[in-house]
Amino acid sequence: MHCKICLQSIEKDTTWSTLFDFRERTLCSSCDEQLEKNQGPTCKKCMKRTEEKLCSDCMFWEQHFQEDPLDRNVSIYTYNEFMKETMARFKYRGDYEIVHAWKDPFQRAFNKYFPKESQLLPIPLAESRFSERGFNQAEALARLLEQPLFAGMIRTGQEKQSKKSKWERLTADNPFKLTETSPETIVIIDDIFTTGSTVRFAAQVLKDAGAKSVSSLTLIRS
Amino acid sequence: MNANPWSPRFSGKRLLKNELNLSESVFQGLLTKGYLIEIPSIKETLFYLECQRCHTRKPSHFGKIPTKTIQSFSYQNRPATNSITYCRNCIQMGRVSTNEPLYEWNGPIANLPKVKQPSIWRGELTALQSKAADAMVEAIRNQSKILIHAVCGAGKTEMLYRGLWIAFRNGFRVCIATPRADVVRELAPRLRRDFPSIEMAALYGGTQETDINAHLVVATTHQLLRYSKSFDVMIVDEVDAFPYHHDKSLPKAVARSVKESHALIYLTATPRLDLKIASRLKQLQTISIPLRYHGHPLPLPKLSQVFKLHQHLQQGTLPKKITHWIDQRKAAQRRFLLFVPTIETAQSLSKKLDIPYVHSESSNREELIHHFRNQQYEALITTTILERGVTFPSIDVAVIGADHDVFDEAALVQIAGRAGRSADDPDGDVTFFYNVKTKAIVKARQYTELKNLEGKKFKKEFN
Repeated sequence: MHCKICLQSIEKDTTWSTLFDFRERTLCSSCDEQLEKNQGPTCKKCMKRTEEKLCSDCMFWEQHFQEDPLDRNVSIYTYNEFMKETMARFKYRGDYEIVHAWKDPFQRAFNKYFPKESQLLPIPLAESRFSERGFNQAEALARLLEQPLFAGMIRTGQEKQSKKSKWERLTADNPFKLTETSPETIVIIDDIFTTGSTVRFAAQVLKDAGAKSVSSLTLIRS
Repeated sequence: MNANPWSPRFSGKRLLKNELNLSESVFQGLLTKGYLIEIPSIKETLFYLECQRCHTRKPSHFGKIPTKTIQSFSYQNRPATNSITYCRNCIQMGRVSTNEPLYEWNGPIANLPKVKQPSIWRGELTALQSKAADAMVEAIRNQSKILIHAVCGAGKTEMLYRGLWIAFRNGFRVCIATPRADVVRELAPRLRRDFPSIEMAALYGGTQETDINAHLVVATTHQLLRYSKSFDVMIVDEVDAFPYHHDKSLPKAVARSVKESHALIYLTATPRLDLKIASRLKQLQTISIPLRYHGHPLPLPKLSQVFKLHQHLQQGTLPKKITHWIDQRKAAQRRFLLFVPTIETAQSLSKKLDIPYVHSESSNREELIHHFRNQQYEALITTTILERGVTFPSIDVAVIGADHDVFDEAALVQIAGRAGRSADDPDGDVTFFYNVKTKAIVKARQYTELKNLEGKKFKKEFN
């Protein structure tokens, strides 16, 4: 077994608890330590680390749209230096295998927070970006969970979110369109939740089409 | 002179499509003309996969990307298979995969102009340096292989000059490769100063420089993964340094980057077993330089046993012997380097002694080294990263915990070689503090004794 992030081999101690555990370990302890779990007091809605009950981003959305289309967001890790480097390799270098490192925590988070009957919507990627990278990182994450995927949404815009300011993100046109009818319970999957605008745009489209519950599971809350 | 405008940029390289940086129409044109040829990135054999850039064969270095997606578009050159295989080992240089081939130049070859007066250097070589320089010239003329086994501080760079001169006059393309980026950063400006009329490129992770058919490429060995059949003369400096000697892909990269007939020159103070064997069996011509350029013997490491040294270090205390050594340096106003085995030890010692420390992940590494060289710091704590390639004029050196695994024979010899580098102050104190005497410690001391003996013999013969 090798760590999916650092490629070093993982030595597992044989104890009674590991003897009958046949799950493949995909993360070495040193890399695991460097990933920082998103814990502590957080916004009850989007899991931003804050002392307030509802963070300023979520308040802004409630004022902006009267009603927030997103019911809640769950994120697993924080966006620390190590995570930034790892994401750069995963997304920009295109090192797909890294996704398997997060299989276990991602599955656990899903089982803990979301109902079994939910369908997953990985945030779609623009065609140009997809052909560059060869995969959609959100879909890669969604495939870690054994849940039905919802394929009825397309992305029309092409701009990179990370190059825009907060205000530009919040006031941009909605880049998503539905091509099928929306399921009732849906969990949006994405890699990073920053201001929440991408996820909320998708959620808005779904809610408008009659979805009852829309929440999101993201790997990182930055 | 050059038949094709693209040829200087691409000849002798093995690149990805986005590294070629060509417009689609030019790219397709060159492909149909046969000037660029496509090389499958991942070689599949019955028993293993091999990356054609970094030559790794480890199964764990290969990853798979599924090609199926729920998104409904048919993007350009979508692969027909269910998944594509890619190399994870060299992904930092851009991804190579079964769907992303490499390209080599196959068009007209760009020739290098012969330079009549390549150097302005007017220094003189010692008799021993001269011997090595002549052997090198011979090797370049005959396109053969040679090992220069020169002690630390023998003046290796100057020895290269005569050979480089001949190479440039013949229009040869030369590469000086080294495993360490620090060495590239130190070597490149010196060569630029002494060979001002030579086109030169210094390549290491993070440089902006590009090599457009330069006469001289100074590069880290990793950068050679982008080359193929490119150089007439290959000089590998510090062949035994990490990561060259334990990463199998790097020697393969060196072998691939040279032309069919080439001269290969290895430079080191501490050859590893493979080179030693080749040299003993007369497979590899070897020139030994046992004397430093200033003619003084190497400082002999003093051995000092300290009981429970590692317990002391763990508790963050320092044994008397070591504090005594440090006090002595301070009293004599000598500057010194303290080598420690791990970053944690460096941190805790740094706090205790109030001395700055440097390690491979220090963000201000170059700055710290610079300050120590400028005598702004009296002392510096370091891990093995400063073991070679850096010169501080007159310092003392101590290794704390010399029995640790990271200090092998080569490392200890190199560390001892940091002391007594200048002609004004050829004696420096070198002390190894350890709990258990290891083979490496004994061998490192023997090495120094042997070299000093050889040096003495040579001096006698010569006078």
